[in-house]
Amino acid sequence: MLETRNLSKSFGAINVTRDVSLKLERGERRVILGPNGAGKTTLFNQLVGEIRPDKGRVVLAGEDVTALPVQGRAKLGLSRSYQKNTLFDGLTVEENLGLAASVTHGHWHNIRYDSLTRRDVRDTVREVAEQVRVMPYLHAQVSDVSYGVRRQLEVGVALATRPLVLLMDEPTSGVGPEMSAGFHDLLNDLPRDLTLLIIEHDMDLAFAVADTITVLNYGEVVFDGSPEDARDSKLLKDIYLGAWEDA
Amino acid sequence: MFRHTSLRFWTLGLIAALAIWRALTAEYFGVETVTEIAILAILVIALDMVAGFGGMVSLCHGALMGAGAYAYAMLTVKAGLAPPMAFAGAVAVTGAASWLIGAVCGRSHGIYFIMATLAFGQMAYSLVFEQPIFGGDDGISGVPRIDLTIIGLDLNDGRTFAFVSLAVLGAVYWFATHVLQAGLGRSLTGIMHNEQRMRALGVNVWRIKADMFGLSGMIAAAAGALAAQHVMFVSPGLLNWTVSGEALVVVILGGLGTIIGPVIGAIVFVLLKHEVSAHTDYWHLVVGLILIAVVMSRANGIFGWLEQRLSRLARPVPARDVIANQVRKDLAAKGSLEDA
Repeated sequence: MLETRNLSKSFGAINVTRDVSLKLERGERRVILGPNGAGKTTLFNQLVGEIRPDKGRVVLAGEDVTALPVQGRAKLGLSRSYQKNTLFDGLTVEENLGLAASVTHGHWHNIRYDSLTRRDVRDTVREVAEQVRVMPYLHAQVSDVSYGVRRQLEVGVALATRPLVLLMDEPTSGVGPEMSAGFHDLLNDLPRDLTLLIIEHDMDLAFAVADTITVLNYGEVVFDGSPEDARDSKLLKDIYLGAWEDA
Repeated sequence: MFRHTSLRFWTLGLIAALAIWRALTAEYFGVETVTEIAILAILVIALDMVAGFGGMVSLCHGALMGAGAYAYAMLTVKAGLAPPMAFAGAVAVTGAASWLIGAVCGRSHGIYFIMATLAFGQMAYSLVFEQPIFGGDDGISGVPRIDLTIIGLDLNDGRTFAFVSLAVLGAVYWFATHVLQAGLGRSLTGIMHNEQRMRALGVNVWRIKADMFGLSGMIAAAAGALAAQHVMFVSPGLLNWTVSGEALVVVILGGLGTIIGPVIGAIVFVLLKHEVSAHTDYWHLVVGLILIAVVMSRANGIFGWLEQRLSRLARPVPARDVIANQVRKDLAAKGSLEDA
């Protein structure tokens, strides 16, 4: 479903990603681990087209999308949520989801009717609001809801585009343990045919949802395998999991 | 995002009633003032569409209005086209030019967008001023008004012209609010709030900006074609950047991003101009002081101040919250509202 071939990016003398090759099957849930500065978010930015790689290819559903801009890849079914909330703060929760759903259903450019009143948009908003548990807040301004709800909405806006592949950059960033557990249920309830690529620092969540774990260190893939193998990997413990294991 | 509110409906009704009353009962000067306000209001609605809902603060809308006026004058006086055709032609040509300006400038932001639009405006001003075909400093005179005698309207009558200008203003208000609530307008608002996210959702950002700028330019051109008919004369001064600056002042004075606010701004601005200039040449000074007071009040212009004080009337009318209402109805039908 999503493949990278030797994806590389440097900023000056610093190699942020080095020959990263990944292959995600349809419906696979892969978590990317790695210490701060390992190149995880830069990898995401290259996948969605926000940063152009120096070398390598990105293939989505069999199509080479390396030359496509962000919106072109989004139209083909690649969606993302951000580590820092990237919402439409001046709008309500329903309008946030409605904007994304309007794009999905091709109403984003019409001048004849209110896109938010269309049946298909309404259905998508309702479905996604239930998926990400924001239904009680539909009327609320985004700036008025709690941080946790905004994190859920962040994922909801990405989901409302009905993606084939959803990239989530630290969905539980900044939320407490209780909310983090809620995210576990949320992720498990997502359709099984949706391919997920998640950057996550919450190890419990990462090991609970992942089919596969990839570890980046200094921009390189240093581990690629099952969660069980990851738990047993000495290399992983050395570079990343020591603190987690001790705890 | 544009929302109809009770306050907006009431304000619109009050303005319409007052305008009709003035157009019916006023003497010559009062009727001319109504026409002047209507034309300025059309221009500032056009500007508010892009500045208030897309963050595209344009300093070329005066030039777009001037382009519409010149296009109408050229097509009627020089090309001999029938005025209705010339009106449509002026709107179409200026709309196309505006689309191009939006497509180019839409790739920049903030101060760079402002400067880019100013550059386009000044290029248009220079072209009209320097090229003999446009009449240079003398402009073009003898611009005819549209003949509507077939439906019993004589536009050479100032009162009738005022009513037609008000009708055009009403149509423009409806069109602007309609477009802003349609997919294009909502996408533009999304871009203003978070351009990066809209792109990530799959929206072609520059296309949205260019299309809305094109529509806005068409409305500005309609204001220009009306202005040309009103005074039956066009001159390069119409395209001067100060016209764009004044339009921006009017939008901020009335309330950016409200559509009805700029109409109020146009009324206040024109009335101040006529009333204060009767006593002093420094009427701009008075407008400036009022503008500073409005900006310092932290309200969004005069209409924003009204909204703050009449907050109950400023809530969106219930019909607007379509999705949430529908969702609640559907859930209630399923008996699962409590679960939600």
